[in-house]
Amino acid sequence: MNLISIIQLIPAHFGRTAVIAHHTFTQLVRMKVFYFLAFFAVILIASNFFNLPQHEGPESVGTHVLSKIKEWSLAAMTLFSLVISIVATSLLLPKDVEDRTLYTILAKPVPRIDYLAGKLLGVLLLVFVSLAIMDVLMVGVLQLRTNIVLEEQTALALKRGWPAQDIVVLKAEILGHGPTYSLQGAVIAVFLRAAVIASLALLLSTFSTSTLFTTIVSFLIFFMGHFQADAREMYLGGEMGTSNSWIAQMLSLLVALILPDFQLFNIIDEVIQGRIMPLWVLGKLTLLGLFYFIFYLFASWFIFAEKEF
Amino acid sequence: MTETVPAVEICHLVKDFKTSFKRLPLRAVDDVSIRIMPGEVYGLIGPNGSGKSTTMKALLGLVAPTAGQCSIFGKDSLQVDSRDEVGFLPENPYFYKHLSGEETLGFYGKLCGIRGAKLKSRVEELLELVDLTDARNRRIGGYSKGMLQRIGLAQALIQEPRLVILDEPTAGVDPLGSRQIRDLIFKLKERGITVFLCSHLLEQVQEVCDHVGIIFRGKMVKEGKLDDLIAIEDQTELVLKDASPELIAEIEALIKRTGGVELVRKGKPRTTLERLFLRETSKEEKTH
Repeated sequence: MNLISIIQLIPAHFGRTAVIAHHTFTQLVRMKVFYFLAFFAVILIASNFFNLPQHEGPESVGTHVLSKIKEWSLAAMTLFSLVISIVATSLLLPKDVEDRTLYTILAKPVPRIDYLAGKLLGVLLLVFVSLAIMDVLMVGVLQLRTNIVLEEQTALALKRGWPAQDIVVLKAEILGHGPTYSLQGAVIAVFLRAAVIASLALLLSTFSTSTLFTTIVSFLIFFMGHFQADAREMYLGGEMGTSNSWIAQMLSLLVALILPDFQLFNIIDEVIQGRIMPLWVLGKLTLLGLFYFIFYLFASWFIFAEKEF
Repeated sequence: MTETVPAVEICHLVKDFKTSFKRLPLRAVDDVSIRIMPGEVYGLIGPNGSGKSTTMKALLGLVAPTAGQCSIFGKDSLQVDSRDEVGFLPENPYFYKHLSGEETLGFYGKLCGIRGAKLKSRVEELLELVDLTDARNRRIGGYSKGMLQRIGLAQALIQEPRLVILDEPTAGVDPLGSRQIRDLIFKLKERGITVFLCSHLLEQVQEVCDHVGIIFRGKMVKEGKLDDLIAIEDQTELVLKDASPELIAEIEALIKRTGGVELVRKGKPRTTLERLFLRETSKEEKTH
């Protein structure tokens, strides 16, 4: 097959993948997955009224509420994206095999990579749409609350006779806790993390014999991924000595290749605290997410292409 | 012009399945060869577990042959493009329950690259063909077994394939549903579509197929044209209508007078239980 004929086949691949992705999205929507959004709305409203005993002065009360809204919202987004990515991906493939719907799909001129990519993209489309809706809700509530806090704190500062420069700093600080570009970066990071874990679950489901196994192992790898960097540092870092360094480096590389370093996504917590997420960090996370997505997808294909039904 | 490329060509197919550790592999198909020319209706018959479904799966590239080769219209079955002109109905299919009949056909049509007005008219045509126009918007989850088989057949035909592969198309379907599916196979035959079906319902295969293969324990034990296989060469059947007892006596006397001829059986031909069932149920339907 020459290059021209390969290029000519690309639109057909995209077309079929899009059909399967759209179908997977519809399937999940009809499983009433979006009910979670109502749960999210409740969390969002609750976070507005949740107050812990404060040790700081009254001037920090407003920003504390804003942080709480962000913290609760992003935690709900993480929970939803993680659960959907793992459970839906683990479930869809074995279900198609069990119901023999896979036979009817693969008996059509559908390459197995198109089927896998379609399933994965369908799950990610659902996660993306859900996160986008949650993001809009979060930004809306946060914007409203920021305006209230800004008003209250400015009035308080004026009442206390703060100098104009200090009030400007205070306003900037409050706005920094509101809906910022960094906050959008954090939502994107939540999505990227979901994409990585979904593609990992897809890989596991190509050789796993049960949905339960895939789900449990995916969650385990997710948690292990938070200690991956520390473990590599501890066991394969400088402590092994220089004589074994190349072996250690290779091993370290292999571990990093198979097991994603989810600690890199901890940047989300810093955004909650009002820190700025530099664009290069988001770029790095995007590349990393894309790398693992493609790596796991092709590894899944490698196994699935040889699978017999 | 008659096509010379076989619709199906299975050459010395062998399929072994791995069993548990240290045990010998299980040979599901053992040196099976089948050649089906375009327009033929071929029935592969055999008991459960004889290798019928595995042969079909190998033909569709769902399992890889241990040895031998399968091809569809000259294209290797392991290549995706060999499925361009094939429709497949698996045994006891379960389609996506959340989709309606119309959506199901739309989904499979899009997978085959059909879009827009062409897809719409094809879906209409097929819903009519399988008599599911009234149930088009109903979710597949609410379909009866017979309806599932019919929508399965419709999805198999969505891209107007030249070959249709049916694995136990009437398994678990009541006689009425079974008759509908059989009629659909006749319609396909009229349209010149090649049909490869496997079943263990011998009477049904006899009715629709013109070529038959008998598979047993993975091996092809008999194959050929149905008429040639089932004809009893040294016997002749004569069925008379409104024959008087005198005429019958005369025929019997003639047989006795002629040397070397023996009257084997005499009696009234019987209808099948299935025909009786269909006749009576249609009568009932008309009276209501």
